[in-house]
Amino acid sequence: MSLARATGLILAKELRIELRSRALLSTTFVFVLLVLVLFSFTFDPTATEARRFGPGLLWLALLFAGSLMLQPTFVREQANDTLSALRMAPIEPFAVLLGKLAANAVYLFLVELILLPIFAGLYNLSILPVLGRLLLVMFLGTVGLATTGTVFSAVTAQARLRELLLPVLLLPILAPVLIGSSEATVGLFSDQPYLDTTWVVFLTAFDVVFLTAAWLFGEYLFEE
Amino acid sequence: MAAKSKSNLASSVFWSLLTFACLALACYAALFVAPEEKTMGVIQRIFYFHVPSFWTAFLAIFTTTYGSVAYIATKKMKWDWIAVSAAELAAAFLTIGLVTGPIWAKPVWGVWWAWDARTTSTFVLWAMYVSYLLLRTLVDEPERRALLSAVVAIFSCIDVPLVYFSIWMYRTQHPQPVIGDGGYLDPRMGKVLLECWGALVALFLLLLRERYRLEKMRSEVDGLRMEVERRGL
Amino acid sequence: MKNLHSVFAAFMAVWAVFFLYQVTVGWRVARLQDEIARLKDRLR
Repeated sequence: MSLARATGLILAKELRIELRSRALLSTTFVFVLLVLVLFSFTFDPTATEARRFGPGLLWLALLFAGSLMLQPTFVREQANDTLSALRMAPIEPFAVLLGKLAANAVYLFLVELILLPIFAGLYNLSILPVLGRLLLVMFLGTVGLATTGTVFSAVTAQARLRELLLPVLLLPILAPVLIGSSEATVGLFSDQPYLDTTWVVFLTAFDVVFLTAAWLFGEYLFEE
Repeated sequence: MAAKSKSNLASSVFWSLLTFACLALACYAALFVAPEEKTMGVIQRIFYFHVPSFWTAFLAIFTTTYGSVAYIATKKMKWDWIAVSAAELAAAFLTIGLVTGPIWAKPVWGVWWAWDARTTSTFVLWAMYVSYLLLRTLVDEPERRALLSAVVAIFSCIDVPLVYFSIWMYRTQHPQPVIGDGGYLDPRMGKVLLECWGALVALFLLLLRERYRLEKMRSEVDGLRMEVERRGL
Repeated sequence: MKNLHSVFAAFMAVWAVFFLYQVTVGWRVARLQDEIARLKDRLR
């Protein structure tokens, strides 16, 4: 079976599981919203401050949410021992990783889409003029988060204290994504909105580098 | 067996003393041989250990990554032992850097810490390798632990240039009063700097060897314990 | 010579790390050597 087809099947399975209960999506969404609200207590969201701090806080909230919601990806498989079944299936291990990675990217992106208008409302930012470019930045950042997050959740699923370990491992690695995405987003919300191409290229490079690393080394995580 | 451990002890003492001597010489050079810096005075001499500890930390990170890749390629445990020893030393040398920095900064610039490009990047690196060590304490089975930490170490290493670039770019776009260490380096200072780096590299190699031996012995103990259990003693 | 105490503090930090690491590793090695001897005795 080709890589693309296998990945597609895994992706479809993951999405079907989640859409059946929608628990992960709704809980992640509420979590990010809560974090944004709590953050608003720490500073006075005047127009200039909101534009300076808002995007960074949004991305910080997304990183925290990501490191929490990426955990079930593999733990769920362990609980039902379906991981052995996946291992024995006639597909390459990278397809499993890629499928789950894609599913996680889709979940996170869905959460972000629903969140954006609320975020814009809470912090008084106008997203419509920059919508296309904003979605590009969010997409690039999300792929970076999903890639490293999925690989590391495969790692922590095999360790103790996994709920605490995943953020501890993941957040330092994601520092560049936090910086790149926040800066690009700040640019888009400034008085003269502009898309900072340096950060867009940087985020793309991050995604490419870690997708390649996942391809090269990810399969070892599935070994017996 | 007794002879071997005696000679091990002897060689170990020899290398320890040699390294001790190198470090002592380096300290002497840093304190008395190097010329006094005009603007900062005596405090600048911290620089002779502060900067090389970062260079040594990078050497340690390189060693960990090499060991991790080698483990994945060969599945020989000795590479895992090298990787973990080097990772501990990376964390140790980064800690020295992060501790000597504020000791230098406070008298000179009046602040303990400044979130400038270099210090922030170092902090992130420190966090990465400390979390690697934490992961290792949370996986019990040796082969699994070796494999998982190898993957994490490789990802961490790949991230290092990305961390440095993004933080540097951020600082370029949001300039702060730069707490730099000046451009010009007197050649005599350069010589002392290299001597201190040499001493730290000697220290790194010594501690790496000791820590590797410790890990190897741990594995031997595990093997013996399993044998004892197997025979039901 | 102002700030001399800071210089010493920094140098002491480097020595302290060296010393502590040597001591802890040496102690653990000694303990393991005892353990190995003990286990080998049991297996004999």
